[in-house]
Amino acid sequence: MTTTLKTWGAALLAATTMAAAIPAAQAGGVLRLDEVAVGELDPGKASDYADSILMFNVYDTLVIPNQGGPGHQPHLATSWEQDGTSVTFKLRDDVTFNSGNPLTAEDVVFSLERMKTLGQGLSYLFGDVEGAEALDEHTVRFDLARPYAPFIAALVRLPIIDKQAVMDNLGEGEGEMGDWGQAYLSANSAGTGAYTVVSHNPQQETVMEMNPDYFLGVPEAAPDTVRLRYGLEAATVRTLITQGEHDIASQWLPPEVIKALEANGAQLFTESGTGAFYVKMNTTKPPLDDVNCRLALSKAFDYGAALQMIAITDQIAQGSAPTGAIPVGMFGANPADQTLGRDLDAAKQHLADCQYSPEDFTLEISWIAEVPIEERFALLMQANFAELGIRSEITKLPWALFSEQVSKPENTPHISQLFVNAVTGDPDTLLYGQYHSSTAGTWQSPEYLNDPEVDRHLEAGRTAQTPQAREQAYSALNERLMEIAPTIYGYDRQSVFAASSRVKAPALTDPEAAFGLDGMGFSFRLMEVAD
Amino acid sequence: MVAQPAIVQRRDAMTPVLRLLAKRLATSLIVLVGVSMLIFAIARIIPGDPARIALGPNATAEQIAALRAQLHLDQSVFVQYGYFVADVLRGDLGISLYTNRPVTTDIAQFLPATLELILVAGAMMIAFGLPLGIWSARYKGKWADNLIRLISLLGVSAPSFVWAVILMLLFAFYLPLFPIAGRISDDIVVTPVTGFLMIDTLVAGNLRAFADAAWHIALPAFALALSGIGQAARLTRANMVETYERPYIEMARSYGFSERRIANRYAFKPSLIPSLTIIGLDFAAMLGNAFLVEAIFAWPGLSRYGVEVILRKDLNGIVGTVLIISATFLIVNIIVDLLIAFLNPRIRHSQRAS
Repeated sequence: MTTTLKTWGAALLAATTMAAAIPAAQAGGVLRLDEVAVGELDPGKASDYADSILMFNVYDTLVIPNQGGPGHQPHLATSWEQDGTSVTFKLRDDVTFNSGNPLTAEDVVFSLERMKTLGQGLSYLFGDVEGAEALDEHTVRFDLARPYAPFIAALVRLPIIDKQAVMDNLGEGEGEMGDWGQAYLSANSAGTGAYTVVSHNPQQETVMEMNPDYFLGVPEAAPDTVRLRYGLEAATVRTLITQGEHDIASQWLPPEVIKALEANGAQLFTESGTGAFYVKMNTTKPPLDDVNCRLALSKAFDYGAALQMIAITDQIAQGSAPTGAIPVGMFGANPADQTLGRDLDAAKQHLADCQYSPEDFTLEISWIAEVPIEERFALLMQANFAELGIRSEITKLPWALFSEQVSKPENTPHISQLFVNAVTGDPDTLLYGQYHSSTAGTWQSPEYLNDPEVDRHLEAGRTAQTPQAREQAYSALNERLMEIAPTIYGYDRQSVFAASSRVKAPALTDPEAAFGLDGMGFSFRLMEVAD
Repeated sequence: MVAQPAIVQRRDAMTPVLRLLAKRLATSLIVLVGVSMLIFAIARIIPGDPARIALGPNATAEQIAALRAQLHLDQSVFVQYGYFVADVLRGDLGISLYTNRPVTTDIAQFLPATLELILVAGAMMIAFGLPLGIWSARYKGKWADNLIRLISLLGVSAPSFVWAVILMLLFAFYLPLFPIAGRISDDIVVTPVTGFLMIDTLVAGNLRAFADAAWHIALPAFALALSGIGQAARLTRANMVETYERPYIEMARSYGFSERRIANRYAFKPSLIPSLTIIGLDFAAMLGNAFLVEAIFAWPGLSRYGVEVILRKDLNGIVGTVLIISATFLIVNIIVDLLIAFLNPRIRHSQRAS
């Protein structure tokens, strides 16, 4: 046995010595970042943050958001014209896919058809689009079922796919189109993007390489190779960054880990203006069917304490003070200095006006099991509401159970906590699903709000033809939502990413270069890595 | 004339073992069918609608209904099981809602990584656990015994993910001797053949890559093996101590055999049987328990996949993973039983008698 021990010892020592002789991977030109698993490469199914990063780098869209301000600019398109319910785009004629096939209007038509047929990911954004037609090689017309102002914004979620490449790689399935290339596109890229996929393991990592033929060119300083890793633990990310083996951490790290990394010299990237933290009240259940009880809770909530819980440094937090239902930077938002604050006297007054007395009810405050920070907010609310004499119970709900419970108003807790984002950057995608009476009973709308005035403003925002008219509609909506308080508007969300000092990402550090769209700041072609 | 009875005898000795194998394979098949039914039912009891979870928070009611119909979730559990059995017989475990790929593709990609990890961990359990136990028993009551018992106790009492974090801190952070994450360095490309990197690198004749893969697997495998090493050492020690008190050891001593010979030849073999059973069970259990170690060392294995599919209520993923883990459990058990049958003449002969 001593011999066995010796052999093992020698083998281990040999392996260690050999390994120690292997130089660490050269970092020059390589960007390494992480996200939660899995990375969905098929752009027709993309919905999460990781999927968005992949999509924005491997594929292109007809338009992209302006940097540093509202609105959109042509990208694969050169211009567009709107005529009632049809929008016609002229396409660039100098764009080729990774396969070498030129981009044509047929590819745009195909991409829309595929997305609508698969019906997954963010395809619901195109529910009001009846179809698209190629007018000539570089002109395509979209026909809408009804006026739909957020249409141009929605196009940032319609990546254009190489039709020929997909048709050459159709898998088995029903009908002529087989699987619509699902098997192929879940492992390969077929876009025009600045990066192409070298290898993809949805649970481990996606390796991408810069596309030297990108139609806009890619600057020298941009990374040559990108490794997007999935599902790294906080402890692992912290060790990797400290050892110089990782460049940008995901936003899902606990605040204390980000704080520790920052203290060790990491820089902090931020992305904001697209979403908020909402504390939603079930307006069908007593006592929250009385607006005064809801207003009492809104006024009793300690907004300042909530912000302290998500603070990283004195200057940077995972959120900023709320001004109303709409995050600062979007149509209809209140000015940044009109922040909401706690007012216990006003809360007591509202409670006195409420038809229910605190002795007669116990509030159920739920938090989503997968989001630990929400437990802290639940405890904060319990303490805040206790000051009004309101009793409450805290319930932990796994997401799967929560999304099922909210489908019935009687099963929906009094209070649910949610982070909601505008997937296109447009307020319509943030607010319609939350507050329109027709969408009640989804995870976004546990308020079960049924207010004709809110519906009217939401419809106006959706159909208004000018930016001024939209601003007006959303401003009125914001005011109404403050008045009837279906929600406690917790804070405007800000994603914070710890990053090593060798990376520069203006879109994530300079407000003038920010896109106002989640994930687009991770356009690798706009980043720089030091050798 | 002398050789013939020997051949007959060997044939006789093989038959009971083969009979044992056939019997175990048949029961295993029944167990697998049972497991498939059980897990099929349990997976459907967990709260939450798989279609709703898979399509994400923004899906419309129509999208959810369409996916439910596609997955036959709108039909009774019995009909669903019928579809499942028909598909399994064709080698199709369905599409995973977690990765959007066939479950068989996922298993083929993730299983080798986990198997490689637990094979190395299993080898460590045997290579470290058994000798430590023998040593401890041989020096019973001395400082070496006490030290080994203390180490074993620590190994057994702290869960493997705690060891994973401690080992990472010590040997990857403070003393950067080992890598932190992954199966191989970024700059090494290995063409997958078996999916076992240590085999694939050898097949390719790339010794540097082999050393790199071994370097990457050392810490996670050791973290995973520690509790097994502790358990094997404690069990071997206890059995050896008991065996040392047997009269035949006394007799061996009185014959003047060396202590090493007594330990290795007479005391060790009978003490090995319970340790082997436990190591076998540990080995199979690691397939499902490696989750946290895999998560900490960013090891892209099946164990992590198994937990993720449960959290997302990916029915096909759950059933596929559980079936594979059960099958491995059964196979390892059969191997252990056969080994024990070889080691223990009583079991071998009882089979013959039956």
